Amino acid sequence: MSQRWTFDDQDAFLERLRALVDEGVPPERLRVLLPVHVHEVDEILQLRPSPLRFFTLAGAVSGLAIGFAFPILTVLDWPLITGGKPLVSIPPFVVIAFALTILLGGLASFAGFLHLSRLPAPAKIRAPEEHGNEFVIIALDAPAPRSAEHGA
Amino acid sequence: MSLRSFGDRVETDVLATMRSPSPAYWIALAVSALCFVGGLGLWLYQMIAGMGVAGIRHPVGWGVYITDFVFWVGIAHSGTLISAVLFLFRARFRSSFNRSAEAMTVIAVMTAGLFPLIHLGRSWIFYWLFPYPNQRMLWVNFRSPLLWDVFAVSTYFTISAIFFYVGLVPDFATLRRRASGLRSWFYRLLSLGWSGTAAEWNHYNQLYLFMAALATPLVISVHSVVSWDFAMSIVPGWHTTIFAPYFVAGAIFSGTAMVLTLSIPMRRVMGLERYVTVDHIESIAKIMLFTSLIVTYAYVVELALAAYSGHLFEIAHFDYRLWGDYRGLFYLMILCNSLLPLTLFVRPLRRNLGYLMALSILVNVGMYLERFVIIVTALAKEFDPYSWGTYAPSLVEVGITIGSFGMFFTLFLLFTKLLPVLSITEIKERIED
Repeated sequence: MSQRWTFDDQDAFLERLRALVDEGVPPERLRVLLPVHVHEVDEILQLRPSPLRFFTLAGAVSGLAIGFAFPILTVLDWPLITGGKPLVSIPPFVVIAFALTILLGGLASFAGFLHLSRLPAPAKIRAPEEHGNEFVIIALDAPAPRSAEHGA
Repeated sequence: MSLRSFGDRVETDVLATMRSPSPAYWIALAVSALCFVGGLGLWLYQMIAGMGVAGIRHPVGWGVYITDFVFWVGIAHSGTLISAVLFLFRARFRSSFNRSAEAMTVIAVMTAGLFPLIHLGRSWIFYWLFPYPNQRMLWVNFRSPLLWDVFAVSTYFTISAIFFYVGLVPDFATLRRRASGLRSWFYRLLSLGWSGTAAEWNHYNQLYLFMAALATPLVISVHSVVSWDFAMSIVPGWHTTIFAPYFVAGAIFSGTAMVLTLSIPMRRVMGLERYVTVDHIESIAKIMLFTSLIVTYAYVVELALAAYSGHLFEIAHFDYRLWGDYRGLFYLMILCNSLLPLTLFVRPLRRNLGYLMALSILVNVGMYLERFVIIVTALAKEFDPYSWGTYAPSLVEVGITIGSFGMFFTLFLLFTKLLPVLSITEIKERIED
């Protein structure tokens, strides 16, 4: 049987959450729902920084590599000198590489967010979990499944 | 005050703006949509009749369409500045403007993106712009600034659209709770099943920060690339190293003016005076004043560079700009972009919303003229006197330009009724204020 507490006030919510953790309730057994992000919750539940940054890095590095490789390989595929410039002209290719770094970095970040947050969640689209502007703490009996760490 | 009562009040106030539209709204939407459809009709006419119906011809091959493109890309910029840059600098007043500025960015880039296609003439083969091997296995020229534009603008649109959507996800969760019927399902789908768990917020905050960090360099890079469409050529008046910062400052200048043009009536019509205060609007006016000074400095440097260059054609070009066929537009541009904004040093004027509204419209006129003057005067009198000429836009070009304003305002008006014009979640976070 899980227990549920709801709070209108942020301070009361944080106090209760801290007390639960101090009482020895493991953070993975606590499911917390928030109307806005509260930084203290991350500290109390000892949430690690999101691994999203690795998605961003992978996307950005891929974009940079593709941004240079694509123009260089295509220009070598059909060598055609225009404007007397060298075939492999690095300065103009920097513009392409820069744009693709940002583009793939952004797309990978968004894809990473969806993956890590398990969104879109069809079940929750059909029956959304509503808590209005209240802070909610649910102490689960059994540890939450790994995919739903800290209430995902 | 508890977050619950504050949050409920914010939701009620912001969602009140999405209630049944007033007759004035329908009239504004009808006029905008009519202009938009008219513009589309003229574009179709141009495709059928050929580019001869446009005023662009030798020697002025870039006219109003390219002016429109640069203008709308510029308008887009302040959205990113307000959303991303001010977020990184933790400027709290941004939450009064960021949602509408982000919408403005996405809509303005969409509008801008049409103009290269309109300018192409044979718009149906627009996909030749994209890098793919054609039937002779020939690839696009990656050394061309025009191709850089394709990459820069499409990246800008994609990142701005994602940033806009990401900011809306927690608000969609609020909307699905407050709406009913089909509308609730619409927001349910868009909210993706967001619950607001600690883990979701943890990933969300990281994503928002990274998107802001990725979008910030775009504020500088996109209009720099647009400026290089001109600066990479050898045309006098275009071939100058100052163009990139000059264009970026101009873009932010015109964008902040458009934010004021949209926000001032919006806050009044929608009753948002509590959330978009005069202090907030004054902060935007200060950015406009600051960027006006940079733009003015660029005008002076541009002239000084030509004067001290000893380059016959550069000097002749600026002589033409100051005293030639388009001098009237040049001086009007100076009045709107450099002289009138100086009045913003006076605090009461900076806080006078009627004055700011009028000034922001004049700045937009001035910035449109700036692009026109840069583009047209340089081409009208290039090197060879035998190929000098003048340009005036045809009715088709004027109509398509009006159509682009119609498109922008149609989409913006639809935005105000379909999505919250303020970020509900971010305002809830401002409870301490």
